[in-house]
Amino acid sequence: MKLTRRSLLESGWKLGGGFLALIAGWTSWELLRPLKAGGASGKIKLGSASSYAPGTATYVNAARLWVANADGHLFALSQKCPHLGCRIPFCESSGRFECPCHGSVFDIGGEWISGPSPRGMDQHPLSIEGDILVVDTSQRINGPDPGAAVFLTPATGPSCSGKG
Amino acid sequence: MTEASDTVVDVRNDVLEPQDRPVPEGWFDRVRHGEAWRSMFRHPHLDTPRGRALQSFSNVFLHVYPVKVPARVLKVRYSWRLGYIASVLFGVLLATGVYLMFFYTPSVTSAYGDMQQLRTGVGFGQLIRNVHRWSAHLMVLVVILHLVRVFFAGAYKRPRQFNWVLGIVLLAITLGFSFTGYLLPWDQLSYWAVTVGTNLVNYIPVLGDTLRDLLIGGEQIGQATLLRFYALHVAVLPVSLALVLMIHIWRVRKDGFAVKRGGVGAFAEESTDVTPIASVTAVTNVAADGRRVRLLGVVDRESVTAEERLTDDTVFTWPHMLVRHVVVGLGTVAVVLTLGVLFAAPLRGLANPNETPEPAKAPWYFVGLQELLSHFDPLVAGIFVPAGALITLIALPYIDRNPATESRYRKVAITIFSIVLLVALVLTVLGALFRGPGWEFIAPWQHSYLEL
Ligand code: HEM
Ligand code: FES
Repeated sequence: MKLTRRSLLESGWKLGGGFLALIAGWTSWELLRPLKAGGASGKIKLGSASSYAPGTATYVNAARLWVANADGHLFALSQKCPHLGCRIPFCESSGRFECPCHGSVFDIGGEWISGPSPRGMDQHPLSIEGDILVVDTSQRINGPDPGAAVFLTPATGPSCSGKG
Repeated sequence: MTEASDTVVDVRNDVLEPQDRPVPEGWFDRVRHGEAWRSMFRHPHLDTPRGRALQSFSNVFLHVYPVKVPARVLKVRYSWRLGYIASVLFGVLLATGVYLMFFYTPSVTSAYGDMQQLRTGVGFGQLIRNVHRWSAHLMVLVVILHLVRVFFAGAYKRPRQFNWVLGIVLLAITLGFSFTGYLLPWDQLSYWAVTVGTNLVNYIPVLGDTLRDLLIGGEQIGQATLLRFYALHVAVLPVSLALVLMIHIWRVRKDGFAVKRGGVGAFAEESTDVTPIASVTAVTNVAADGRRVRLLGVVDRESVTAEERLTDDTVFTWPHMLVRHVVVGLGTVAVVLTLGVLFAAPLRGLANPNETPEPAKAPWYFVGLQELLSHFDPLVAGIFVPAGALITLIALPYIDRNPATESRYRKVAITIFSIVLLVALVLTVLGALFRGPGWEFIAPWQHSYLEL
């Protein structure tokens, strides 16, 4: 195409407009993009590892997570349901985690049993320093896929939601 | 020069001011004929056809209406006045919303307290909040019914395809209003309904996490979310709705009301885009490509045939349409006021991230989706189904090429739409009324977990 003043202006305003839109988009993104949560995350001491008996789930308020003992294996389970983020309570009578929102059920190891959750409960890595259990809340590991479950501990009693 | 002199207006005898106007009687009449009044209202108050036309032309609010409308538009059965009722509700929401803004701070430490304060410490505070809440619910309902009406009337077809698309945008904005407003009381109901709602976004492939974080301003619902939702609720969405509504209503006039006109069977008032029947086409301009054209944008009635003009079925907007709108408007306000007096807007405990109430339900217009989510994978139920429905709705007038508007010629479209509507209704009723803790089935007469 021959470059005339007319054609230059005609493509010029499109280019200019596109450039302005780009700048506007970038500026808006910088203004609106979420700021990374500071502080809070990191390593949290959970006390003696032996204080978490098999078959129990203990809520740790400071870290907003559950420490569960499945057949001697300790897990730090995120309280946030992998489905849609409701907080999952532990049902003492069934010995399972039962999400109140859409009824996902997890065994004591956080493994998926039933319900709409796409996977087991998310976990945070645990380590033992001396005798002290330490959780690293800055890291999150996706819960196991339904097929990858190993414990699948049976319910110890009636479910809290009234389901058999 | 002779032609020009014909049109010269005698300023002393302005056409707007009839010479033989009656002598003012009483103080109100005298005010109305005074200079101040006439400087405000450009039109005289004349009870003549010309006067009524002038009222409409020269008033910024009234000129939203056409001067004359086909008589059938006045029938309730034409539109069920649903679009108009939605507009009135929007007005009520603006008015009550501004009152609420005087008493509400979008901060996690004070929002909930402000709500309690409104209940106990502000005169009529609770009433204003109730009316705002019930009007919002009603507006969602009315807009959905409006959509259903437009569908069954076939009013989304040529030339109104784009106005249908604008309608979907209005529906989306209305839902956006309700959803952002829902969070503002910062109670357990708000917190968990919004948690569940925003987590759906996570399932969008690739961009999901970023989009959700952008929407809620962080990784968790918190102060940033409240402020973002507040800004959307009181600034971005009202301006957007007003703008799109303006275009929507303007298009209703330009595309013509979707009513059949006196016997001729033409489907539009102003539009020339539709070719109703061959005989009508014959008497109007036919462009080279066989389509009718408008001579000038301002020549509205180009499409109205001689035959139609003989049987003029139009009536003046002022007062015929206006009086109906005033009555329906007052009726709408009466309904939301009554609801506000009778039923208090709910306020549960302060939002607590450590305790999910049982059951955590989304607002009723999303609860069908939540019900769907309990049966299917969230990628299917949370993303594919709603996104698919939205895209299909937007594209509907471009997919459905059948020009017929009578239901007997639209069996396929009506059947599909009715089935989808029924499924949505069943899911909503099931989710809203028949679900209890753990999303277990429970009959509403045993215990109702419906939250509004
Ligand atoms: C904020 C929400 C909305 C408001 C305030 C609104 C307002 C209006 C008004 C005042 C009218 C005039 C006639 C009537 O009452 O039917 C109208 C017509 C119309 N609306 Fe809406 N509307 C809204 C949403 C929608 C939606 C969700 C749709 C469909 C997707 C839609 C599609 C249409 C169409 C196609 C017409 C023309 C129909 C005809 O002429 O018969 N609108 N709207
Ligand atoms: S959020 Fe837990 S099942 Fe849906």
